[in-house]
Amino acid sequence: MFTHIFINRLKCLLHDRETIFWTMIFPLILAVFFNMALSNVNSWEIFKAIDVAVVDDTNYRNNEYFKAALNEASKGADRLFNLTVTSKDKADQLLNENAIVGYIVVEEPIKLVVNKSGIDQSIIKSFIDSYMQTVSSINSILLENPAAQKELISSLADRQQYVKEVSGTNAEPNNVLLYFYTLIAMTCMFGCYFGMREVTDIQADISPVAARVNIAPVHKLKTFIYNTCASLLIHLFEIFVLLIFLRFVLNVDFGPKTGYVVLTSVLGSITGISFGAFISAIVKKSEGIKVAILIGVSMTGCFLAGMMYQNMKYIIAQNVPVLSYLNPVNLLTDAFYSLYCYDTFSRYALNMGCLCIFIVIFCLGTYLIIRRRKYASL
Amino acid sequence: MQVFKLYLKVLKKNIPSMLIYLVIFLFFSIIISSSMSKEQHVDTLFNQQKSNIAFISEEKSPLIDGLKHELEKVANFVDLPDEKEALQDALYFRSVYYILRVPEGFTESFMKGENVQLEKMAVPNSISNTYIDLCIENYFNNARLYVQHMEGISQESLVQHLKSDLSVNTSVELKTKSNKPQNHIYANYFFSYMAYSLLSVLILGITTIMLVFYDNDLRRRNACSPLSTRSINLQFTLANFLFTVFVWMIMVVFCLLYNLENSFNLNTVYFIINSFVFAVCGFSMSFLIGNLVKSLNAIHAICNVVTLGLCFISGVFVPPYLLGSSVLKIASFTPTYWYVNANNQIAELTQFNFSNIEPILSCMLIQLGFALAFFTTALVISKKRRFE
Repeated sequence: MFTHIFINRLKCLLHDRETIFWTMIFPLILAVFFNMALSNVNSWEIFKAIDVAVVDDTNYRNNEYFKAALNEASKGADRLFNLTVTSKDKADQLLNENAIVGYIVVEEPIKLVVNKSGIDQSIIKSFIDSYMQTVSSINSILLENPAAQKELISSLADRQQYVKEVSGTNAEPNNVLLYFYTLIAMTCMFGCYFGMREVTDIQADISPVAARVNIAPVHKLKTFIYNTCASLLIHLFEIFVLLIFLRFVLNVDFGPKTGYVVLTSVLGSITGISFGAFISAIVKKSEGIKVAILIGVSMTGCFLAGMMYQNMKYIIAQNVPVLSYLNPVNLLTDAFYSLYCYDTFSRYALNMGCLCIFIVIFCLGTYLIIRRRKYASL
Repeated sequence: MQVFKLYLKVLKKNIPSMLIYLVIFLFFSIIISSSMSKEQHVDTLFNQQKSNIAFISEEKSPLIDGLKHELEKVANFVDLPDEKEALQDALYFRSVYYILRVPEGFTESFMKGENVQLEKMAVPNSISNTYIDLCIENYFNNARLYVQHMEGISQESLVQHLKSDLSVNTSVELKTKSNKPQNHIYANYFFSYMAYSLLSVLILGITTIMLVFYDNDLRRRNACSPLSTRSINLQFTLANFLFTVFVWMIMVVFCLLYNLENSFNLNTVYFIINSFVFAVCGFSMSFLIGNLVKSLNAIHAICNVVTLGLCFISGVFVPPYLLGSSVLKIASFTPTYWYVNANNQIAELTQFNFSNIEPILSCMLIQLGFALAFFTTALVISKKRRFE
């Protein structure tokens, strides 16, 4: 019996092109868009050597120490500046064309000319500051200890590193990933379309198909479970297609724990389907309204989980932490995020736990509503 | 005007689904535009920029207090609980870019001249990383000079010396091009984001109605009415166009009302003209789609894919300067790209002479070109369809 219902249901569901579009094709298209739009989005926060000019006059040529310091900072792969040595007029022109961030005039004190405030400009300023401050330090040391001049020069040369990088985890804080995680979470929640259809097709007062199914001498719950299995299979397949596409075509990093990523997707799929079934069972209105509720709830969930503006997730977690545990989309997103970022499993387990509670509520609710329905007339 | 009236009747039935897009649009544009415009402002004096950092110290000493005092010039301190996950979250969501930890015993070893290091967690290769590093290295390298060359210097006098040395400041001259900086960031963002909702509402509205009108039975019935085909088409197009103007007006008026204090200038006029040109383009695009679509279910799918796709690649959701160059090249084959492009140029506009306005006008002309192309294609297709 199981195979008969299951296989026929599978065929039936696969014919529904609209649902397949929204649950599989649409997320894939969205993933491509995300990838196109976001692949470069963090470029503004990456440091690139700053284009800077210095006015080539006698002051500059005579100030050997500053010249040396500036040249030192403009050398090598991790240099601070791309230096241009030029005349004042040319420097002005370059600044006007935004070809440089600013130019330096060596006078007393050294002057920086820029055309707006910004972090690049501030870095140039900090660099000049630090040069002048070091000069000031040397002067005050020599004042008290004139004998130290020679050693001072030599110890100036070996600047030391006083900060070392300790990484919290192996995972880079690449915050673009979160958009893709919310996308997977959204796809999981879109399983609600399948859930909704399962309930619609088993409640005899909603659809003629269901009325026909109810006449058949198979236990209603059994039919429902077999049907849902078919839905689950299709939906899981869709999610795995998405995961594989993200991982191997778009190179989205999920961290090393592949098995758990799969487990999360399975739980997510079940959450989505049971959510759709629950809403469909509890709302006794037309299909349009059900769909509106499902889309409304899942898209609001996506927004709060950071799909449109990712800091929203952090804002919610900081200010209204309860809400982040009541939002299944966020739970899923956060589960993927914890797998990627953390070495420990505590937060992942918490997310999974909350998700399981949701699943139990949805399933139990659906069961209590649709069981033992008898119809006097249809 | 029977056709026109019929159009309005059909339209009325579809108002709720279009209203959803309108409300979502207004909601998002308020939230995002206001948060965006808060972040940026035009200034007339040079401001040293500050990065958000977290400062965690396991010890307390004058040297470290001095460092913290120095860092205040280049950083905003964000309080974070000293827990691994909280710190990682803050870094991931860029609440801070740099987390500095002073290990216990640092000052003591430093004063002895030993080689010790602070620990940092930072967004790798970020600008803030370089910036804060520069400041910290400067502080301790200067301090090192004192420790090495003034034997037995006490911590207090070291900090005093450093304080006076580090107060030396570069003079910065700020050359601004415009003398009257104005705030168009909100309008810029709002009008760009409008591309998404305007397109959504137009495509959804126009195609849904066209689907009703182009129903074969209905069309045959209308064809045998005494109205000429020309009149029917004219009324229908007019109704579509008025619908476009109406939707466009609602959005523009809302923007002006919400941002009233920054609205009375020439830039706003150009924003409005540009958005109208885009609305015309959206109208003909919808007309084309309406001629291609055959079922109601497909409309939602096509509407979403087309609008989201256009908006993602041409810089509506993500500013164009953050998009890859190849993406932008693809985007330049879409009208949205030219619309957003014109918007961004209008926002920068301070002088309204022809040489400044010319590039904006050419953007608008390109949009009109797209509109014309869509419209003629649509006419060809509709002619073909009539003979089916």
